Amino acid sequence: MSTVFAQAPREAPPRAGPGAPRPAARRSLIQRVFGETPTAWLFVLPAVVIIIGLAIVPLVWSLLLSVQDKDPIAETTRYVGLRNYRDLFDDPAFTGAVNHTLVYTAFFVPLSILGGLGLALLLNRRIRFIGLYRTLAFVPVVVSATIQGVLFSFIFDDQFGVANALLDKVGIAPQPFFADGRQALALLVLASLWAGTSCISFCAVIFLAALQDVPRELAEAASIDGARPRGVFWHVTLPALLPVLVFLLLWQTVEAIQLFDIVYGSTSGGPGQSTVVVVYYIYRSIRDVAYGTGAAASYVVAGGLLLITAATALVARRRAASRWAA
Amino acid sequence: MTTKKALAALAAVAAITGGLAACGGGGGKTGSTASGTDADSGKRVTITVWHGQNQSAEKVFNRLVDRFNATHPNIHVDSQVGSLADSMLQKVTAALAGGKYPDMAYIFGPNVPNLARSPKALDLTDAVKQPGWNWNDFFPAARTAVTVDGRVRAVPAVIDSMAVVYNKRLFQQAGIPAPKAGWTWDDYVATAKKLTNAGKGVFGTGWPATGDEDTVWRIWPMVWGAGGDVLAPGGTSVGYAGQSGLRALSTAQQLGRDKSVYLDKTTGSEQMYRVFNNGRMGMVPTGPWELPDIVDAKVDYGVVPMPTYGGKAVTISGPDTWMLFDNGDARAKAATTFAQWLSQPAQDAVWDIDAGSLPLRRSSADQAVWKRHAAQVDGVQDFVDALGDARVRPSIQNYPKLSEAFGQAITGVLLGQKSPQDGLKQAVDGGNKALQDQ
Repeated sequence: MSTVFAQAPREAPPRAGPGAPRPAARRSLIQRVFGETPTAWLFVLPAVVIIIGLAIVPLVWSLLLSVQDKDPIAETTRYVGLRNYRDLFDDPAFTGAVNHTLVYTAFFVPLSILGGLGLALLLNRRIRFIGLYRTLAFVPVVVSATIQGVLFSFIFDDQFGVANALLDKVGIAPQPFFADGRQALALLVLASLWAGTSCISFCAVIFLAALQDVPRELAEAASIDGARPRGVFWHVTLPALLPVLVFLLLWQTVEAIQLFDIVYGSTSGGPGQSTVVVVYYIYRSIRDVAYGTGAAASYVVAGGLLLITAATALVARRRAASRWAA
Repeated sequence: MTTKKALAALAAVAAITGGLAACGGGGGKTGSTASGTDADSGKRVTITVWHGQNQSAEKVFNRLVDRFNATHPNIHVDSQVGSLADSMLQKVTAALAGGKYPDMAYIFGPNVPNLARSPKALDLTDAVKQPGWNWNDFFPAARTAVTVDGRVRAVPAVIDSMAVVYNKRLFQQAGIPAPKAGWTWDDYVATAKKLTNAGKGVFGTGWPATGDEDTVWRIWPMVWGAGGDVLAPGGTSVGYAGQSGLRALSTAQQLGRDKSVYLDKTTGSEQMYRVFNNGRMGMVPTGPWELPDIVDAKVDYGVVPMPTYGGKAVTISGPDTWMLFDNGDARAKAATTFAQWLSQPAQDAVWDIDAGSLPLRRSSADQAVWKRHAAQVDGVQDFVDALGDARVRPSIQNYPKLSEAFGQAITGVLLGQKSPQDGLKQAVDGGNKALQDQ
């Protein structure tokens, strides 16, 4: 405290003027606590309150919950240490959910990025009505995922769906679709590729923006030097897209791990447990008043996401460093 | 802890009766500590009820509340939806945890044992012994459903029984005689197969395949009919291991194999009833609450008791209840008064008709208004008759977990992904685990 006091008197503010020692002293007290420009705190205060109230407090609260066995009905709370976490990995429903999430991610991320790149290349041309095409390509991004889930469950209903009626017309045997665990998971991948906030179109929009930043002269210079279109793509365009590619890889992975709304809207985790993904598992735990389990599962998922993000950052940094060294 | 609770109760009282703040904070305190004598005479007590209903049931409930408020000057009932009945357990749990909860709420029967663990849930064992209740007039299934460990923890709100509703026109088209009481599950499977017409999109019957309680309660009459039970004697293990469970699941498997069953994968089984109401399903096992919609859809229908495995007829009854919560003695007393009034024959008969319930008590069935209803709507009397053969699920806290395991098994078997043997093993293991966790 005393050291702070010793440091506190700094250069007097020019406007304080002589003959006004009292206000100056009071201001310096506030300044001692809130720094040089105390009013700045007033401006950031609303944001700080919101972030602390809606992000930090729940974060700490759920960490507490995850080490408790809380029964809100019988009104008992017991500290159980890491037991919730241990139980989680003994629960086949949770390990199953982790598996489903990983399988989903393994298909969804590469497919959405490749599809997005393809679509972006198609849209990066100077043809008639290109503005219209680009607008239309963006439409799927704004479709609500829950509604889309419901829509898919109607189309791919094994007994009444349009999809089976079409298959029947071309002579293919009816498929179980959402009645079969594997097909249901595949349909979820298809649904999220088709529309929603992380669909192919979303990736295409990001790639398109990056493509338009690739200097045209580079491509022209390459073709003058005799490069074919494929060569231009591999050696000029793609390297220029690399930072965006890394971003999308990370973003799509995070989105895939957080899959929830389409599952909620279509399969509700079924048939059986075959489309229960981790976030749906968390939702179900909280719904069934197993607050401790839900909180523990949330922390496991958050930990996973943190690892992935850190690993990506590390790889990116190392690449940058090696390039610098070279 | 107790002071904290008292404070929470006080806060709740203060918040809800906010308008009466003129009485002063002390007023609320005396209200909650007064031991229910005439101390509260002359002072109006407001209680909150979460009824969880919509459409016609909500309207009739609010009419009854208005009538109660008009005739009981000392009590004011504030009728609120709370949350639709399907999600009332979550809503009430959150409310209890938050310390601001209703005085009375509509709770599904299987959830009563769970909520009864709350120190705030009233024990009505002594209350219902009072002469005004005429407790033994309630049907046994209704009384059993609200009794947990020998204590009365809720008041019956709705009672149903399951029977098969069939589409007469589809039976005629398929050239099959109408089903009759005493038919067997083999008859049922064979009839469903004959009714099915894939080309026209007609199914013999339907079964929710979500794996939740809506899937499971339909199998209990089969298990009971085959000599099994939910719990084995003693209650520490499941009662459907072995032949009874296997027989029930084999019937389900056959329906799935014949493709004669429409499997509804959407929560709430509305899709299944829509198929029936569109005249594309021959038979559907259901409760009396579905009749109003079936009548509206102008389906020419009949009602027949559940099939058997050759033995005595048996069906399931799934009662819903009113649970009462402690917000201080004055309010608890008022809530009890309201619940008692609501279950009197004159009110009960009116409520039952619009809520799609059967009479909760014998004397309600004798009310003129009920008799007129039963005479007007085809099949209502069949459901009342089925109540005589009805059994209920046991009032145990871990039933939902047991049900979850069985539900997964039934869905797997219906979809042809599991054999009845494998399904049964899963259902038995899961059920036993649920019971041991208790």
